[in-house]
Amino acid sequence: MDSFKTLEQLIHFTGMRHGVLTSNIANADTPNYKAKDMNFTQALDAELDLKTTGPGHIGNSVEGSQGQISAEASASWEDGNNVEVDMEVAKMTENAMLFQTAVSLLETKIRMFKTALRR
Amino acid sequence: MDTFGVFKVSASALEAQKKRMNVIASNMANANSTRTEEGGPYKRKDVVFSSVLMEQAPVELEGVEVVDIAADNTPGKTIYDPGHPDADENGFVQMPNVNIVEEMTNMMMALRAYEASVSAFNISKTMFMKTLELTRQ
Repeated sequence: MDSFKTLEQLIHFTGMRHGVLTSNIANADTPNYKAKDMNFTQALDAELDLKTTGPGHIGNSVEGSQGQISAEASASWEDGNNVEVDMEVAKMTENAMLFQTAVSLLETKIRMFKTALRR
Repeated sequence: MDTFGVFKVSASALEAQKKRMNVIASNMANANSTRTEEGGPYKRKDVVFSSVLMEQAPVELEGVEVVDIAADNTPGKTIYDPGHPDADENGFVQMPNVNIVEEMTNMMMALRAYEASVSAFNISKTMFMKTLELTRQ
């Protein structure tokens, strides 16, 4: 049942990150606006709670920080805005793919449960 | 939390860029207007964008709006044309401060920003449709 929760979290985070990236694209020409992004791997790592039982296993590398939103530190244009539209669109596409993957997996999971129930 | 908040953010950007486009179009149309209601040659206008908070939780969604349409007061070119009806006693005419190249560049920037927001809108739509497919299970 745990993977339901993981997928739910993944959908939740990608959904939130999508909102952040949409705001960045909308404000591509707003003076003094700073691009924001969500630290996502950390949040997911904390959520996944990987167990290590041997020395060669990869566990949680980072602790805590639930999807923090931080302003990007890259250099600003003359008007104090540091949004790079191409980068934001690329990030958004990548994020949307992740979202769709999670939804597809959830779909498969539900179908598997239904198949099991039918027997 | 507004389920369709991201659509409003994209829509605000589309609206703002369209207003910018309108202003640029009037600037270009009036590149040679030496007479205005306020008197003097036409002064080019510029939109002022400002971000506006549309949703606080779970994430801050910031849309954009046009808060002002400001006139550019830098003086335009003065050309010598004694036959012009608006020429002064020395034969000089004050032209508007519109630079067509600058307006074209601004127009391309507005177009790119508009396209990026349309892409964002479409991606949001795809994501929502994909989620809706879950109900068909």
